[in-house]
Amino acid sequence: MKTRYPTAFVLNVIAPDRPGIVAAVSKAVNAFDGNVDSCSQTVLAGYFTLIMVLSFPQPVEPEQLNDAIMGLAVDPSELGIHICRYTDQSPGAKWMEGENFVITVSGADRDGIVLRFADYLADKGININDLYGMTQGDQFILVGQVSIPGRCDVRSLQADLEQLAKEIGHTIRLQHENIFVAINQLRLPHAGGKTAR
Amino acid sequence: MLRTDEILSTIEMLHAEYLDVRTVTLGLNIDDCASEDAGRMCRKVADKIRSRACGLVEACDRIGNKYGIRVVNKRLAISPAATLLAGHGAQAAMALAESLDQAAEAVNINLVGGFSALVHKGMTPADEVLIDSLPAVLSRTQRLCASVNVATRHAGINMDAVRRMGEQILAIAHASADAKGFGAAKLVVFANMPEDNPFMAGAYLGAGEPEAVINVGVSGPGVVSSALRRRIELEPGLSLGDLAEEIKITAFRVTRVGELIGREVAGELGVPMGIVDLSLAPTPQVGDSVGEILEVLGVDRIGAPGSTAIIAMLNDAVKKGGAFASSSIGGLSGAFIPVCEDASLARAAAAGYLSLEKLEAMTSVCSVGLDMIPIPGDTPAETIAAIIADEMAIGVINNKTTAVRLIPVPGAKVGDIVEFGGLFGSAPVMQIRNPGASGRFVRFGGRIPGPIQSLGN
Repeated sequence: MKTRYPTAFVLNVIAPDRPGIVAAVSKAVNAFDGNVDSCSQTVLAGYFTLIMVLSFPQPVEPEQLNDAIMGLAVDPSELGIHICRYTDQSPGAKWMEGENFVITVSGADRDGIVLRFADYLADKGININDLYGMTQGDQFILVGQVSIPGRCDVRSLQADLEQLAKEIGHTIRLQHENIFVAINQLRLPHAGGKTAR
Repeated sequence: MLRTDEILSTIEMLHAEYLDVRTVTLGLNIDDCASEDAGRMCRKVADKIRSRACGLVEACDRIGNKYGIRVVNKRLAISPAATLLAGHGAQAAMALAESLDQAAEAVNINLVGGFSALVHKGMTPADEVLIDSLPAVLSRTQRLCASVNVATRHAGINMDAVRRMGEQILAIAHASADAKGFGAAKLVVFANMPEDNPFMAGAYLGAGEPEAVINVGVSGPGVVSSALRRRIELEPGLSLGDLAEEIKITAFRVTRVGELIGREVAGELGVPMGIVDLSLAPTPQVGDSVGEILEVLGVDRIGAPGSTAIIAMLNDAVKKGGAFASSSIGGLSGAFIPVCEDASLARAAAAGYLSLEKLEAMTSVCSVGLDMIPIPGDTPAETIAAIIADEMAIGVINNKTTAVRLIPVPGAKVGDIVEFGGLFGSAPVMQIRNPGASGRFVRFGGRIPGPIQSLGN
């Protein structure tokens, strides 16, 4: 992704949630005449987290940006900030190539569920693009959106994952994202590139 | 990115509410297999099916697996077999039927449709050969389905053919008496038979269709009744308009799934994607019933007053949702009410809620007709023909497809429960009121002319 201005950062903020955190960050960006190029924010169990790609027309140091945000925050002591340089040549982008699949896991809550599946996916070179987990009573539900490279065989991945889930009495499903697009959205499911089989 | 709630609700639909793809049907033209030599004709047909359909089941299973959705049936619909039988006799008809049966088995396809003749305005000698062969063919083959079109909006109703089909339905049932007349369940008599219907037993590949094509039948009624039940529980006080909207949204979803799977299978097999058939096709499985939808929508049992209005609303809402989801809607596209194949209908028939006359009334507002209905085995052929004529008239006048699939059960009387097993289910033998009272009408023969509405040019 190309940013509007040449000096670009990735900003990550974590804090107990309260109104005004995004406003404080935006004011700080504005103070340096910067631009928010991209952002994603969520609140999980009362905790706020934000990731933003920011760019500035003139050189700005990460420390200056950090101090500006802290200066504008209602309670700076609760704010965790991490800033790194952004490049559109990030090696991370290549891991999102392939076809998008959705993994859903459900079963009794216990230690090590995420580890069990994440470890397997990492071993196969499968990237997790989005991950969401929640507890419902004594049940834990995990939903992951992953990119499966064209070299992978979906059936054997499904068989392996089913075996991993079975060992702890869980149910797992690995399905191409187009089924979810077709059922829920008005956009047309796209064919994608190299077909994972 | 997808939203988590979209993912979770989809998982619920797929795995708890029976969202599936009912059938992926490969249409295949076999006209090029014609030969003066019956043996050669049969070999060509078998070879063509083996070469063109061999990848169907594997492709459906693999693609279904990729999306986590089941393709329940993989089937084959051929161009009308009567065309191949031109110049041939009874022996060739039987040999062709056996070849089709064996070829279907060889490619692991459970049913093949298209042992068909179109006789709405008159019969060729080949049509007669095919129709005469039906008792032997349908009692001796396992996978073959037959259909005969006896009426169209344009031509009217060929009453000679109707009379003949009344006799043949009875003959088929008696030829398969050891299977409770089940041979008759593999024959459909149609008005306005669609060329691209993927559902058995009436599937065939009609004139104007490509050499090969994939047609898809979408998921069944279980998804609709679950969606309605959930909505009613969440929001008491909903009106029928709100519920029609819910049906529409659900139909949109299931149609999109059908289209997605169909296009991918077609791509894999290198044939064009034809149509998505929106029909809600029930199975005897509990929770997968059109009758249950009517119960959710407020009648104690299907057949009670109000049933015709509800099924009209259901049928219309399904079409509206489906038409937005796909530009290639075709086939029958309505709600099926097959008595044996729908546990709720069978229960309603046993409890006296559902009569043949009420079924006939409902078929005037939904597809497809008097379907999978066991009747007494001693019902006169002329009475069966007259029932066919009534149903054909509904199709011809209303410019829709109607059909009759009655199963005279040899030795059975009204109320006896007949079990066909598996997807074909079970039902009580239904009463035919006034049997034997229509003979004079049927014996007039000839053709009931096409209605004035057919003169549209």
